[in-house]
Amino acid sequence: MSIELREIDKHFGQYHALQKISLSIQPGELVALLGPSGSGKTSLLRIIAGLETLDEGTILFDQKEVVHLSAKERNIGFVFQHYALFNHMTVFDNVAYGLKVRPKKLRPSKKEIEDKVIELLSLVKLEHFAKRYPSQLSGGQRQRVALARALAVEPKVLLLDEPFGALDAKVRKDLRRWLRKLHNDYHITSIFVTHDQEEALDVADRIVIMNEGRIEQIGSPVEVYENPASPFVYDFLGNVNLFKGRLRKGELINGDFSFKVPGSNLDSEQETVGYVRPHDVAIEKEVRPNTVKATVLHIHPIGATIHIELHRPDTNDYLEAEITKEFFTQLAIEKGDTVYIHPKQLKVFVPEDFSI
Amino acid sequence: MTENVLEQPHTLPKVKIDSPTSEPKWIRRSLITISVLFLSLFLLLPLVMIFMTAFQKGVDVYLASITNSEALSAIRLTFLVVLIVVPLNTLFGVLSAWLISKYHFKGKNILLTLIDLPFAVSPVIAGLIFVLLFGAQGLFGEWLLERDIFIIFALPGIILATLFVTVPFVARELIPLMQAQGQSEEEASHSLGANGFQTFMRITLPKIKWGLLYGVILCNARVIGEFGAVSVVSGHIRGLTNTMPLHIEVLYNEYQFTAAFAVASLMSLLALATIIAKNIIEWRTKEVSK
Repeated sequence: MSIELREIDKHFGQYHALQKISLSIQPGELVALLGPSGSGKTSLLRIIAGLETLDEGTILFDQKEVVHLSAKERNIGFVFQHYALFNHMTVFDNVAYGLKVRPKKLRPSKKEIEDKVIELLSLVKLEHFAKRYPSQLSGGQRQRVALARALAVEPKVLLLDEPFGALDAKVRKDLRRWLRKLHNDYHITSIFVTHDQEEALDVADRIVIMNEGRIEQIGSPVEVYENPASPFVYDFLGNVNLFKGRLRKGELINGDFSFKVPGSNLDSEQETVGYVRPHDVAIEKEVRPNTVKATVLHIHPIGATIHIELHRPDTNDYLEAEITKEFFTQLAIEKGDTVYIHPKQLKVFVPEDFSI
Repeated sequence: MTENVLEQPHTLPKVKIDSPTSEPKWIRRSLITISVLFLSLFLLLPLVMIFMTAFQKGVDVYLASITNSEALSAIRLTFLVVLIVVPLNTLFGVLSAWLISKYHFKGKNILLTLIDLPFAVSPVIAGLIFVLLFGAQGLFGEWLLERDIFIIFALPGIILATLFVTVPFVARELIPLMQAQGQSEEEASHSLGANGFQTFMRITLPKIKWGLLYGVILCNARVIGEFGAVSVVSGHIRGLTNTMPLHIEVLYNEYQFTAAFAVASLMSLLALATIIAKNIIEWRTKEVSK
C-alpha cells in the first residue's frame, strides 16, 4: 500500500511539533524516520497510525483519505518501543488478540486462529513459548511477540516506533537483520522510527531525516550519507570535524591551511564551516604541501579501525581521525607525536542555510 | 610478590554491628515497647472490650440483641445501602478515573478537586447540605412534599448522604494507578482492531482489577460505618431509618450497653474481614507486579 502525507501540521499546546510535512512512500518500501529526540518523528508515526490527531493536512493510503478513520479502522500494525504486550495474557493469546476481537462475521474459526498464531510464532522463532507470559521472556523475545501480534491482523502498513530502542546492542543487531529479511519476504510497506543513524543506514530503503518538526532530507542511505543536504544532516549522520574559516575565490582559509572547495568560486564575509568526516582526514608523518601540523593526543583502537584524537596548534582545534589498523601499523605513530594532516574531502554549505 | 611475609595483624576486637545504620539496642527496644503498648491500649484493648461487654450477660442475651426486629432492620438497611451505594460509586470511580487518566480536557483539575471534596468536608456538613436541599424547610422541600416524595428521614436521603461521603474511594485508588500504567496497551488494542468496549473489558479491566477491588473494599467499609452524614438525614426512626451505627448509638444512649456492644461486635467482625481482604489484595498486587 502506498502512503502519501500532505502538509501535515501539528501543535502540542504552544509547541509546533510538525510543520507542513509532506512525504510519499511507495508500496513495499521500508522507510526510516530518523532524527534526534523532539524532532517530531514519533508524533508523525502516531499520526499515520491514527493514535494521534493532526491539526491540518491529509493522509492517503492507496490514494484514499484516511484522516477520519480511527486506528482500529486503518488496518495497520503498530509496534511500540516498550512492547506494550498484554501482560495478563499468554504469548499465544497476545498474538491471537487481533483475530479474536474481530466481529463475528469476520472472525476466523478457532482452528484457523490457532494455525495462524502457530505460523506467526514459528516465523518469529518462538513456537515453544506460546504458553508463557510476557514477563517470562527477554526483551528481544518480547519485541518479537509484539511483531507477531502486529502481523496477525495482516496489516497493509507496519509502523514501528523505535522498535529496538530498549534492547541491548547485540540483540538489536540481530533483530535488525531479521526485520530486513522479514521485509524482503513479505514486502509490507513499513515505516520505522529511530534515533540511531547506524540502524537507519543499515535497514532502510529510504531515510527521512527530521529535525525540529521539519524534514531535512529524504534519500537512500548512500545519498544521505554521501550528499548531506544540510549541516544538520552532515552532523547527525556521523562524526564530523569542523574547519571554520572564510572563503576566498572558492578556497576555504582555515588557520595555516587552505582548501579548494570543488565547484565553488565564492567569497564569504561571514565565517564558513567545512565539514570533514573522520575517515576523510589523511595523516602524514612528513610535511607535504597543503598539510597542517597537528599533535596526536590519544589513540583508541576500536576493532579494525583506530580512532585518533588530534590537536591543531594553529587554530587550537581538536580533530578526530579514523584509519585502518593496517595503515596505523605502517604509519607507526605514538601519543605525543607531531603529524601533518589534510582533508581528503571537505563539504561546505553556503552561509544561507546555516543552522549550527 | 615480595620476599617479606607480612606480619599477620593481631585479631581485631570483635564489634557486633547488625547494620551500619541501625540504632543502639536500647533505643530500638524502647521504641518497639512504646509502639506495642500504644497499639494495645488504643486498638487491641477496645476490640477486646467490645467482645467482652457484648458477651457479659451470656450468649443468649447476645443473640437476642442482634436478632430482635430493630437490630435486624438496622442490619438489613445497612446492607441495602451497601448494595446500592457501592456499585454506583464503583461505576462512577471507574468512569472518572478513565476520563482523567486518558483524556486531557479543560477543568480536569476542577473535577479532581470535586472528587476530593467529600474527604475535606465533615460528614455532618454533608448531611446538612441534603437537609437544606430536600428537607421540609429546604430548597426543594415544598415541591417534594406536594408530590409525596420523601428524601430526608427516609432511605433516599441515607443513600444520597452515603454516596456523597464515599465518592472518592474508588476513583482516588484508580487514578494514580491508571496514570502510572499509561495507555500503550490500550493503543495496541485499538491498532489491532478492538473497539472501546472490547479494549476496556479485555485490557483495562484486567490491568486495574486489584486496585479496583481494593477501592471497592475501602468504599464498602466506609459505607457500612458511615455515621455523621447518615445521622443528620436519617431521623433515627427505629426499625425504619436506623443503620447499624445509628442503632448502636440509640442503644447506648438508652443504657443498653450489652445490646449496643453486641451490634458493635458484629460491625467489628465486618471491619476485621475488610482488613483481612485488604491485606490479601495488597499481597496479591505485589505478587502481580513482581
